[in-house]
Order: sequence, then structure tokens, then C-alpha cells
Amino acid sequence: MKVTLNWLKEFVDFSLSATQVADALTMAGLEVEEVYTLERNFSRVVVGKIVKSQKHPDADHLSLCRVDIGGNILPIVCGAPNAYEGLKAPLALDGSVLLNDLKVETQKIRGFESQGMLCSEAELGLSERSEQLMELTADAEVGKELGQYLGEPDIVFDINVTPNRPDCLSVIGIAREIAAMTGSSLKKPELNITAIPDAIEKYMTVDIKDEERCFRYSGRYLRDITIKPAPFWMALRLHAVGIRSINNVVDVTNYVMMEVGQPLHAFDYRLLEGKKVIVRAAEAGERFTTLDGQEHELDQDSLLICDGVKPVALAGVMGGLNSEVQPDTNTVFLESAYFEPTNIRRTAKKLDLSTESSRRFERGIDPNGTIYAMNRAASLMVDLAGGHVVGDAIDNYPQKVTPVEIDLSVHQSNVWLGVSLKKEQIAEILSSIELSVEQKNGDTLRAIVPTFRPDLTRPIDLVEEIARLYGYDNIEPNVAPRIDQLQEANPRVLFRDFVRQTVSGMGFRETCNLSLIHKKFGHEFLPQKTGFVELLNPLSEDLGVFRPNMIVSLLTSVAYNRNRQMHDMRLFEIGNVAWKEDGRSVKTEKTQIAGILAGHRQENAWYGKAKEFDFYDIKGVVEGLLAKTGIEKFEQESAHDVFWDAESSKVIVDGKSCGAFGKITDDVLTLFKIKTNDLFAFYFDFDKLFENCRKEKIYNPVPRFPSVPFDLAILINVNVSAGSLEKEIWKSGGENLVDVHLFDYYKGEQVEAGKKSVAFSLTFSSKERTLSDDEIENVIDQILAHLSGQFGAQLRDR
Amino acid sequence: MTENLETIISVIAETEKAFFYRLSNAATRDDLEEIRIEYLSRKGKVQSLFSLIGKVDGVDRPKIGAELNRVKKAVQDAIDEKQKSFQRTGKAIEFFDPTLPGRTVSIGSLHPLMQVMDEVKQIFVGMGFRIEEGDEIETDYHNFEALNIPKHHPSRDMQDTFYLSDEYVLRTHTSPVQIHTMEDQKPPIRMIAPGRCFRKDTPDATHSPTFHQVEGLCVDRGVSFADLKGVVLAFAQKLFGKDVKVRFRPSFFPFTEPSAEYDFSCIFCKGQGCRVCKDTGWLEISGAGMVDPAVFGFVDYDPDVYSGYAFGMGIERIAMLKYQVNDIRIFYENDLRFLKQF
Repeated sequence: MKVTLNWLKEFVDFSLSATQVADALTMAGLEVEEVYTLERNFSRVVVGKIVKSQKHPDADHLSLCRVDIGGNILPIVCGAPNAYEGLKAPLALDGSVLLNDLKVETQKIRGFESQGMLCSEAELGLSERSEQLMELTADAEVGKELGQYLGEPDIVFDINVTPNRPDCLSVIGIAREIAAMTGSSLKKPELNITAIPDAIEKYMTVDIKDEERCFRYSGRYLRDITIKPAPFWMALRLHAVGIRSINNVVDVTNYVMMEVGQPLHAFDYRLLEGKKVIVRAAEAGERFTTLDGQEHELDQDSLLICDGVKPVALAGVMGGLNSEVQPDTNTVFLESAYFEPTNIRRTAKKLDLSTESSRRFERGIDPNGTIYAMNRAASLMVDLAGGHVVGDAIDNYPQKVTPVEIDLSVHQSNVWLGVSLKKEQIAEILSSIELSVEQKNGDTLRAIVPTFRPDLTRPIDLVEEIARLYGYDNIEPNVAPRIDQLQEANPRVLFRDFVRQTVSGMGFRETCNLSLIHKKFGHEFLPQKTGFVELLNPLSEDLGVFRPNMIVSLLTSVAYNRNRQMHDMRLFEIGNVAWKEDGRSVKTEKTQIAGILAGHRQENAWYGKAKEFDFYDIKGVVEGLLAKTGIEKFEQESAHDVFWDAESSKVIVDGKSCGAFGKITDDVLTLFKIKTNDLFAFYFDFDKLFENCRKEKIYNPVPRFPSVPFDLAILINVNVSAGSLEKEIWKSGGENLVDVHLFDYYKGEQVEAGKKSVAFSLTFSSKERTLSDDEIENVIDQILAHLSGQFGAQLRDR
Repeated sequence: MTENLETIISVIAETEKAFFYRLSNAATRDDLEEIRIEYLSRKGKVQSLFSLIGKVDGVDRPKIGAELNRVKKAVQDAIDEKQKSFQRTGKAIEFFDPTLPGRTVSIGSLHPLMQVMDEVKQIFVGMGFRIEEGDEIETDYHNFEALNIPKHHPSRDMQDTFYLSDEYVLRTHTSPVQIHTMEDQKPPIRMIAPGRCFRKDTPDATHSPTFHQVEGLCVDRGVSFADLKGVVLAFAQKLFGKDVKVRFRPSFFPFTEPSAEYDFSCIFCKGQGCRVCKDTGWLEISGAGMVDPAVFGFVDYDPDVYSGYAFGMGIERIAMLKYQVNDIRIFYENDLRFLKQF
């Protein structure tokens, strides 16, 4: 919402500077986003008077003028239609510079010398009006600098009005705030309409068919109107607040809307049929063309203003093309109504047609302000368009809105704010914004809220007004802690941070990727029988679906860095993923942690050659992470997820799969345009880790007796897995076996074909005593016998 | 029969000389230990020299004694010194180059946004707030309606929303976590909800469709706007230092009343006015306010008994200030050259 300083000053007296006004408004909740002086894009422009004007002999649209600039009369060639004798207009002299750096010089135009240029408002940057010369008032002093004639340029405030303050979408509303802040009062001019006595029913009747959506419809009929451009002062103000000047009648409706906040509409009376206005719901499929030339297909949600035959306006949003004020009309019907906010918003949203009018109606205008606004417009039309108001005002007001009364406890208000204001102070604050305050008994105040403040309905709404006008700055911060409110830590959050610390401690860098991805990257990662969680209104297809797996995000980061010549990296991220079970609308959202290894574990260095990551690197990370979280053992199972190569494994804890790790397939890498196949990744369902992690740490006594190491090398068929061997060793190793460590794994010439050698270092230890050599020998025999029975294992050497 | 004094002196001298020769050839700790045992143990060569004292005349004994003590000390000192030199170098080598690069240890790091998030979390945990979490896919009810943002209300325009269906949205703020928490627990509530949010903003230097927020909520009997100002002030000063000032400006949010935007005094110019604060001396941080009683209606708290405050903040905004990052998008690119700086 834009307002100008001079416009505000018509309604309130204040001596603050523009900067002070801006600060005060901001601190009262009307955030001033910008303050600027209206630009004037001209120099060396003076008031000129056309003393002679005649047609160019060869060009009809050109006039040959003689222009008086005070003591000097210059020949000027002019193409404007209103270059008539006696007109005072701005004359740009030879050497002046206008908008867009247009330089004016003496030149010959179609054979005649022109020693300057008569200007339109647009050429001077004063408004958009370019069709004709700017018309200066009769009292303008010939020869005077135009800047001096115009006076100090006005100052514009661009204010961010929050949705709860429809009253401040008007100059008067903002002036009222300034009045409250400065302790002055609002000057709202009284209006006296002199109407030609006549029965208005002869010209117009209003029938509201939909009283739920049109609370009030007021109207006036004017005749003897002459449509012409609005005066400069009005065009300038409209220009300053961002509205195009059209003609005197339309400009008045916009001017009054900006001034008092009531949207108005002027119909060309000649185009209304049947001398009637009917307010009704649109029919489904009904078509209507608004005055911007757009045709809309409506449904019953929209409200139409119709004449006796056809719709003529989309209520509260925009007038119709079929009833727009025409340049040759001399009769106008003026509408000033109150429409139900939600309905206007729904229509404007649905048709994607947000207008100055709809913005005000959907936030809620003053239902008791229609008459004032209408009369203000009518009197301006009489002044500026030479018209006459005929008969009484029409005022159809089926849903009368009365002021709300609110009882406020002074004590409660003080508790909420943490202040100790007196009843009288509060009463004074509320009165300053035109609430009537009655002091009731004891602690209570009763405030009667004018209908231009629909946001004030409850005691807390008054508390906000009190706080705002008392000044947020004046409320002292309370920094005393309330020990009775302190809360315990959330274990899931602690665990999450613990896991992040652990993985970053293993040399991984944490990334932060967008949660939304292009579908094509996600297909392979969707769990079986699921689909994407798709956005109905994505920014683009690239951000169209929710990621189904955190590895997608990590691959995105690897690809990004590979494109920038960075090859080796370890990345991880914890984040949310989602998918939709087939045929169901319920979403599954999970938190996952994923990590990825790309490139080399070690670069070429003086102590060794570069080594690429392999499967056992990612497995080591998984083992380390699980051990750190207190999950000592997990089972492996081949991972069927399609994005894993043969080198892959699921992680099963307590019989439940909680994640997987392995090598990313070439197909996936191709999708991400990653050219090497050296990427290994893991992911876990974060909450499954959390469920299984060690919740409490309890001390396990350190053995006091020496432990006994024993190395065991066995020969076995190549297809027996190390994991199954280890499992069987544990099974047969007895209660004193405390550690099994595979330290050698060999296939090749030294052992017979089809066999391999696997060597374990076993550690035995007892809590009660030192173990004897015989005891160890016995256990080893037992293990060997078991392995031999299970797998046909042989002892290699001892 | 007594031995010649001179003979005994020369035996002692020989022993000492032999010792120093042996010592000069000791290359390892083990060598040194061997020599120490050979000379200084109870049956060692130095100790056995003391038996010679009895073999000289009484008058000469103190002289021999003194000489023996001197040698014993010299041997002991020499061994000690050699020992020290081994402690420094382990063993003697020709040339050791300590300037060769060390074996690379892979260094991990936490993402700068998450580091800021961690810091913010820590400050509030220190002030007795519990961290609560919630889903990123939310119902329209929890994201909007229960926060007093009805359908077809202009306040919906304040946030551009990604819709999944009529019922589901990507949460536009972490405020729905407050609703869930109040649905599940009775006051006193003192919580923050850090997390990821989504708005349909076209990415540019200051907008990202994904961003992070921390929102706080405190509900109890007698909670006031002054308490809110206190908590935000304490937070500001813990984050940016004791001299930071906080300014509250009236604003509007459907779920709080009174509502405020809060600013920190500019951390770069100390409120004097600079390029970053656009010469205002203030940095806009985020919004806050007293919980609107209408919200309590949705979670069945009695607004006549309880009051509360809520506040929010954008992690990206704070991180950009803290690290002087001028484009939000760089946080989401995950360029290693960027990540390595944190």
C-alpha cells in the first residue's frame, strides 16, 4: 500500500519528518518498506502560454504555436490534440533534458522551426498520461520554472500492510494511526451532497438475491457528466500510488478507494438494461468478460452484479467490459457495496484475478462506510465532471453489521504483557484509535469497536492494540528463568547428533541437499510396490517429487563435485525420505542416514600408492557405526535393492532389516552422469538404529586374569564364507572365547585347488582363573572337530 | 700384604675407560641396558671395585673411596644422559626428515547449516527447552488450520505452499510440531522444534524452496510478552555476544497475538549503520508473539488459565550472517571446497 505525505496531511496535522513518520509507522506494526521522493525527470522546463495556434499547412495533426514564456514568444511545433490558444502548458526549452534522457533542441519539423517542446505529463515523468499536453491551471505564472510551479515534490511511503489490517489499505486508515501516535485527531471532511430532487426508483432499483454474500449494496445515479481527463493533481496522486489514470469518472472511483478504502465501481448507465441491479450467484458454466478483456467461466461460488438482462460485473473483483464507462456517456451509476470476504477471495483465487478491489474486500472493509465513500466520490464527480446527483442514495442493507463490544480485564491484559498499566492509560490508548471505552466496575473496561476494525473481536485483540501503541520497546524483557518449566532432553535428538558426530569422526563430510528431486533420479530407489510422493504444484519437474532414499541426495553431491574436478570424497547426510504405498494415499515418511565413499581411500603418497575404495571400506564404516551405537552383531543377507551391485549386503539386526550397503550399479551412476564405478554407499532407517542402539551403558568388568591368544589356520572349500566360519567358531568355542579376529585369507598356489586358507586369532579369557594350556588345547580340538563336521575343514598348521 | 695404591688406581681407571668405550658403541636401548647391568648391578664391574678398598692401607682408603665414588657417579651420569638421548630419538639414524608430509587422516565435518542449528539447539537446551521433532509432510490441519489459518483466508498468502493433495502439504514452518506437542502433553511446555521446511519460492540469492527453522514455544500459567522478550534477548546475546540489542516491532501472524517481528542490532557495525543492515542499524531476524488463544482452542488448553509465547528463526539467515555467506544456494550445493571451510 502506497500513500503520500501530502495526502496524509489532508487528514491529520503532524510535524514529523518523512523519516520520523516511517519509523513511527514501522514501530506501530505498519512496516514502511520504502520512502522516496517522487521523481521529476526534467530540467529547463517552464510554464508556457499558447498565444497562437494554427494548423500546419501540410500535416493535420501538427499545430504551429507561438508560446509566451514571459517576455519572449517562441515558435513551437506541437502534435498534441489540445494545443489550443490560451492553454498554459509546460514548455521544455532548447537544451532541456526530459524523461529517459530525451534531449530537446531547436530543430525544423516539417519545414518549420520549433524552439522547444510542449510536454505531456508522461514526458515529464509526472504520470503515464501521454495523449495530450499537460494542462496547467489558469493562475500558473508564465515563464516560471515548472518545478517551482509544482512546489516541493511529494514523498511516497510504501507500506507492508498485514492481512489483519484492512483499514490501513487507505490513506485515512494510515492517517488515523498517525493521529493516534502523535496525539492529534483525524480530520475527516463532512460531505454535503446537493441532489436534484427526483424519485431514484425511476432510474434504478437494487435487488440482492444473495444476502449471505452481499451484506449491503449502495448506489447513486449521476447525470450531465462530461468524461475527460482527470485534473493533474489527481492523476499525479494516482500515479504516485501506482494507479493509472483513465478518465475523470474512473479516476474518482480509484482515488476514493485509495483514500477511504472502499472499492467503488462506476457503470455507464446507458449500458445497464431494465433500470435494475440484481446481485446473484453465478450459474455453473456461466461466461463473463471482465473489463480487462478476459473471458471467465464461472461457477456458483462467484457472485455477479447483473442488470435486468445480463451480468455487468464480477462482484468485488472487476467490472464488465459490457458496462464500462464510455468516453461519450453523460450518465453514470455508482456502486458502493460490501461483499462477504471469503467469497471474494475464493473467486479471485480461482480466476487468478487479484485486484485492488478484491484485495480490500477479501480482507474486510467497513460495511458502514459505503455511504461516506459513495458520497465522497459523487461530490468529486460533480466537481470534476460537471455532473449532477439525482435523487436519494440507494441503500440496500439486509445484513446490518453492528459494532462489537469487548470486555477487557485490566489485570489479565497486564499479565499477558508483563506490564502494569493503569485502567486510565489503557482507556486512553484504546480511545486514540477511535474505540469508545466505558470504564466498568473494578478491573473491567468495555470497548466498543468501530466496524472498520474487523480484526478486533476478542480481549486479546485489544491487548495487541495496547501493546502496539504503548510501544513494544517499553515492555521490559524478563530474563528471570522459570525453573519449574525446564524440560528433559529428547533421546532421539541426542542419538541423532551422536550418530552425526560419529560418522563425521570417521572422516565423512555432512551434506545438506534439497529434499525434492527429479523423478528420473529416484525410480531405482523406490521400495518395491511404492510410488513417489509427488507435488501437485512443483516449481519445476526438477523438484517434482520427495526423495525416496538419502543415497539419491549423496549421489547428487558426488556428481556436482565430480563436475568440478573433485574426485575423492566421503559424504553423509541424515534426512527425511518418503514414498507412497501402491494404491494408498497414506504417505510413509522416514528418517534415513546414508553415507557414500567415492574415489580413493588414499591418494598417491610418498609412503604408498593410491588405493581405490572397495566393498570392505564401506563395510568397515557400517561395522564401526553399528559398534559405536552399541549394536555388536548383525546378520548379512544379500541385498535385493536394485541399485546395489553383487557386492552388497543387507544389515539384519534382531531378525529385522534396518539398512544395506554395497556398490552402486553402473546404471545408477550413468543416470547421475558419474563416469567411474568406484562408489560405495550405505543407508540405514534411522529409527531402527535408534530402537536397537544401546540406551544405557553398564560397566562390564575388565578380566583380572591374563587372556590367552591362539592362532588357528584352517583349510576349507573356497565357497564357505568367512562369516559362517566365524559363526561356527563362536558356537563351538565355549564360554571363555572372547574374541575372534580373522587375520589371514589366502587362495592360491600355496594351497590345493578348490581350497583356501583362513586364519583366525582367537582370544580366551576367564573371569575366575588363569586358563591352562590343556584347557585351551581341548577347546581348539572341539572347534576343529566342529568345523570339520560342518564344513570339512582341516587344520593347516599349528 | 696390601696392593700397591697406584695399581688399584689404574685398575679403576681401566674400568672407567672400558665403560666409556662400551657406552660410545651402544646403539640401542637394549645395548644400554646390558651395559648398565654389567657395570652398575650389585655384582657389576663398578660395584666389585669397592672390594678393593680393603686391600689398601688404612690411610689410603679414603682416597680410593673418593675415587670409586667419583667413577660410580660418572658412570651413572653417563648412562642417564645416554638414556635421555634415546628417549628423544629412539635410536640413532643417519638423517631423519621430519618435514615429509604426514600420513593423511580423512577429516570429516558437519555442514555449516547444521553447525548453526546445533549451536541454536544448545543455547535453548541450556535454557531448559526440550527439542521436539515432526514430519516434513504434514496435514493441512496441523500446518494451517490448527494454527488459526483457515482455508480461504488472506493469511494463507503469506506462505507459498507445496501441496501433495487437499489434505497434505510439505510443512511451510515447524509450527505444526507445536500443535502435535500440545496435543500430546499438558503445560508446562517449553520446547523448540528445529527442522526442515518448504516454501514454493523460486531459488535466488535469498530464497530456497528448502530451508531450516527453529521455532520455540512456552506455555504455562502467567507466561507474558515480557518473558518472550527476555528469552529472545538471552538467545541473541548467547549467539552474537553480550552487546547485541533486540528490537520488537508489531506485526501479524495468525497464530500469535500480539505478534512481533524481531531484529538484532547489526553485528557488523554495532548498530551504527552499514551496508549489511542497509544503514538501519538493525538486522531483521524473524517473528514471534504470544500464542493466539484460538490456537489453544484447537489443542484443548484453557486460554483463561494458560498463556504462552512462540518464536521462530531461520537457520539460513543466521548462518549467512555468521559466516558472511551472501547466497543461500551455496549451502545446498555441497561443494567440497565450501564444506571444507567449516
